[in-house]
Amino acid sequence: MSLFQITVRKGKHWQAVAEQNCPHQITTDLSLRLTMQRGDFCLQIDNCLPLRGVTALFGRSGCGKTTLLRAIAGLDRHTGAEVQCGATIWQQGGRFVPVHQRRIGMVFQESSLLPHLTVEQNLLYGFNRLTKDTAITLQPDQVIQLLELTPLLQQAPEQLSGGQRQRVALGRALLSQPQLLLLDEPLASLDQQSRSEILPFLQRIGSQTGIAMLLVSHQLDDVVKLADNLVLMQDGRIHSQGPLPQQLLQPELAAIGAMSLLHAKNYGSTDHLLKLKLGQQQLQLPAPLHGDSANYSPTSYRLRIQARDVALSLKPLNDSSVSNQLQVSISGFNNAPHPAETLVQLTLEGQALQALLTKQSVERLGLQLGQQVYAQIKAVALD
Amino acid sequence: MPELFHTLSPQDWQAIQLTLELCLYTTVILLLLGTPLAWWLSLSHSKLRTAIQAIVALPLVLPPTVLGFYLLLLLGPHGAVGGTFERLGLSHLAFSFTGILIGSVIYSLPFTVQPLMDSFRRMGPRPLDVAATLGAGKLDQLFSVVLPLCRGGFIIAATLTFAHTLGEFGVILMLGGSIPGETQVLSVLIYDHTEAMNYAQAQQLSLGLLVSAFVVLFIVYGLNRLSQREAVL
Repeated sequence: MSLFQITVRKGKHWQAVAEQNCPHQITTDLSLRLTMQRGDFCLQIDNCLPLRGVTALFGRSGCGKTTLLRAIAGLDRHTGAEVQCGATIWQQGGRFVPVHQRRIGMVFQESSLLPHLTVEQNLLYGFNRLTKDTAITLQPDQVIQLLELTPLLQQAPEQLSGGQRQRVALGRALLSQPQLLLLDEPLASLDQQSRSEILPFLQRIGSQTGIAMLLVSHQLDDVVKLADNLVLMQDGRIHSQGPLPQQLLQPELAAIGAMSLLHAKNYGSTDHLLKLKLGQQQLQLPAPLHGDSANYSPTSYRLRIQARDVALSLKPLNDSSVSNQLQVSISGFNNAPHPAETLVQLTLEGQALQALLTKQSVERLGLQLGQQVYAQIKAVALD
Repeated sequence: MPELFHTLSPQDWQAIQLTLELCLYTTVILLLLGTPLAWWLSLSHSKLRTAIQAIVALPLVLPPTVLGFYLLLLLGPHGAVGGTFERLGLSHLAFSFTGILIGSVIYSLPFTVQPLMDSFRRMGPRPLDVAATLGAGKLDQLFSVVLPLCRGGFIIAATLTFAHTLGEFGVILMLGGSIPGETQVLSVLIYDHTEAMNYAQAQQLSLGLLVSAFVVLFIVYGLNRLSQREAVL
């Protein structure tokens, strides 16, 4: 609940700033070529990642995510590696642009504030080192306001909570006017409360500042809340990449937690019921409770729906308590982690939805590819 | 106490001055040499590291006479270094201030490198990664991150080096002998006074050294405690 309040309250700041100076979201192509052998582990990357908004680099611990991120940043130099960000070559052949000359911002897993400096000095550490020809799109005042850091400015890092520290680290990285923001498991060391404290900020930075972000994570929960695109890494290779809703259909991800991500338009709310539109169809949900709901309503929401919270019926049900019933067509069947279950792929107004059913149910209903059915949605998480 | 200082001879004063100069030069040179060495030792994964670390620690375990003996051979008129100096028309380095300065630098090396290495390790590579991603080059990192974060380590390294050079005896005696104004430092002079049965004079200088050594160590441990408390806060 508190998560949502913060989201909403800060949303106004963000919007205000975004209107003043929001560089249009641009796609930055990150070309990578990297081969590294360490013991049994082999990292082999030869890909181009189009970065736009938040791109999650997702995979199990030890699959090479952080190694790749450090190579992109230039913190580790691998011979023979090639890194190109947009039009700028960072590494190729004998050429190696040192870290401090790459326009990157980086937020590390654990607190990385310089302990001998105050919050304010930390924030300005990178900003004060900008070269004269750097275009400044984010001013200190803006970032301090955005991340609500004003009360913390004169404090020492050790006086801050984990969430506050990551907020300062984020602001510090933003103030170095990066072309690319690298986030190495920024939430991993935080407890649940601190996570919910920092998530809303992260959610907005990508869309509101236009800076491309590459988020390393092994938590699918964080990824689905934040990312627009997902790069799936497995055993030192990039398995697949693409927009998050499509990537969620990958069997590898479905095995961790089968879910779907839908984008819905806000259609107003009455009687504490939020109306959302998905193409021609409508969805009603209890409106999030917060103080100034009347003044704030985002134009669109991200809906997270667990596959096990979706049921299917051949005809619309009129005598059910489930009120959200949407017409969908069956686009595929996938194996579920459990041998008795099947993941049914559905198309809903051009978006992808998954339902987890038992094989028995699929047979009983006689579900076929291309068939029109009705999806009953029992629970939705809103972002 | 004032009475005691009245009786110090010009020779004593000369030895005091020489000792302080030797300590000061040794400390400055070792901070300049020891910092990059300690840095490399704290970060390197090279196989050479263990060997270098052992060499740096050698003066801790070797009798000073052994170290002095080899330095005497090396820096003397027939040694590799001293001989080269002779051929270049310069004098060799044994029995000279430069010679005992070289000896002191080698002898006190572990006292500079060890505390620095410890404090670099405590700091870890993370603050430097952070500074680099924020646009700080290597030199900038040294002044804006390493020096402030490892200040305690530098102070301890400098004081220990100074204090250890103050108490040096064997290497200097072997390498420098006891030439007033050139190699006759306090510890050697005390030895000379004792040999000459001038117990009163030996006593004054010994007491002086004892008190100053105590004061220096007291300061070091005080700073150590302070910096630990800082770390806890």
